[in-house]
Amino acid sequence: MERMFFAQLVANSVIAGALYTLITLGFNLIYGATKFTNMAHGAVAAMGAYGVFFATREGWGLPLSIVAGVLVAGIVGVITDRLVFSPLRKKKARASVFVIASLGIFALLQSILSITFGAQFWPLLPPGTGRVFDIAGASVTEVQLWILGSAVAASGILFILLKFTIFGKVIRALSDDEEVAKMLGINTDRMIGVIFFLGSMLAGLAGILSGFDTGVQPTMGLFLLLEGAVSSIVGGIGSLVGGILGAFLLGFVENFGIWFIASQWKGAIAFGLLTIFLIFRPRGIMGKD
Amino acid sequence: MSYLLHLATFFGIYAILGVSLNLLIGYTGLVWIAHAATFAVGAYAGALFATKLALNFFLAMLLAMLVAGILGSLTGWIFSRLGGDYYMLASVSWNYIVVSVLINWESLTNGPLGISGIPKPSLGELSFAEPTKFFLLTLVLLGIVYAAARFITNSSFGRVIKAIREDEQAAKVFGYNTLMYKVAISGMGAAMAGIAGVLLASYIGFVDPSSFDVMESIFILAIVVVGGFANIRGSLVGALALVLLPELLRFAGFPAEIAAHVRLGLYGLALILFMLYRPQGIIGEYKF
Repeated sequence: MERMFFAQLVANSVIAGALYTLITLGFNLIYGATKFTNMAHGAVAAMGAYGVFFATREGWGLPLSIVAGVLVAGIVGVITDRLVFSPLRKKKARASVFVIASLGIFALLQSILSITFGAQFWPLLPPGTGRVFDIAGASVTEVQLWILGSAVAASGILFILLKFTIFGKVIRALSDDEEVAKMLGINTDRMIGVIFFLGSMLAGLAGILSGFDTGVQPTMGLFLLLEGAVSSIVGGIGSLVGGILGAFLLGFVENFGIWFIASQWKGAIAFGLLTIFLIFRPRGIMGKD
Repeated sequence: MSYLLHLATFFGIYAILGVSLNLLIGYTGLVWIAHAATFAVGAYAGALFATKLALNFFLAMLLAMLVAGILGSLTGWIFSRLGGDYYMLASVSWNYIVVSVLINWESLTNGPLGISGIPKPSLGELSFAEPTKFFLLTLVLLGIVYAAARFITNSSFGRVIKAIREDEQAAKVFGYNTLMYKVAISGMGAAMAGIAGVLLASYIGFVDPSSFDVMESIFILAIVVVGGFANIRGSLVGALALVLLPELLRFAGFPAEIAAHVRLGLYGLALILFMLYRPQGIIGEYKF
């Protein structure tokens, strides 16, 4: 019994870590290029999930709906950049101005979702969809395996994109020093738009998978954002590898924490971890001084 | 008339919150998105002192200020050594933790059901149960908070705080213990927010965790943004504008259920537009 419980906790931790990885990859990608904490990132993820909710309700097939949902998130992300962040960049606004504007976007998107779809909770898949697998004594649903697979695939693609393509070099140059990148003739403003598109699509994917796993609600974005932000900080903000480490550390701490403490404290455990890191190692696992 | 009085009382409570948050954000430059949590600590502490210990409202208020102030200094001490983005994220987490504690510590807070039966203020023979009197009490307390905030920001203490906001290293070079100054202003701001919390608890007669989520913190932040950072008078204007704004929705005929969501959207829009076109707020002096 004890061993099965342990296996289940490990499985849950890995799946939670995979979900947080997806959200933190996009978050870190955008942070790397813009150097501000995009509070709208979670709401963009929720937009993706609701894209799928809308498409399936309209009778679209599941694969097509997922593509639509991911694109919705990507497009919403680009719109926030074009309408709000790009003008702020041109004005050379302080980081706190960006953050407060992104909080405004977060509130606005959440209210749009509540007005359009209602504030209540909806399952994104009919209950009992998909098989349940038994892996070393832990039961894992098909959706959860999809979460894990997508996280591995997304991290892999992103890694190849950043390491081995010209496009990746440009992004890395931009993250290193925007001014120098500009001098080298890179259209940094447009590149940041592309980064917003990529990062927001990743967020959308995370939102959709989280919706498949636990349903959708307009307020789901805040939870995703906070888990993503905690993963990024714990891993070292802006570092993609650190983000993945942070995401899995958070997944394990949360799930093993409820072995000792009642499960309703799960959220508080995450933020306890964050506070400990903020006090003792604010630059995170992989962060540089 | 009674409805106007209700709005005026709410204005008073939110103006106290706006002024106290402005002390924190406007004068330290650190974006604190957990003022709803501080507000909640004040409201719950006041409610518990007034119901479980059956203390007089004013005594409960002083104790609630003390609790909120101590907790505010503590979070200020932990978080304010962090830079801007980290501070802000830590504050959002703090808001989340406080709400989570209010929901889960059932033996003390009665969980999601909240605490009801919170008495109206009274002082000997004088009762403030009647709405006009409650409003006047709110106004007096707002006046005291406003005067205190003006006094703090105009004092030599306030000038040091502003100097830290502009250049912390320089302030350190001049021998100021900048951390202690930030802790002090965090504690003062929190104690003031505690007053607003006790007023709300007593006015509604009921507190529950759902009133103090991150969205409420964003609303209080919007008051400061609209009014203008580092301008105490601006926060009065901001509170007036944002408490009255939703009333226009009522006249526009939105059903109550949707109006709450539209209101949130409007606050979000206000934050975006002010950041884009007028980051110093309506009458702000400090370009954030």
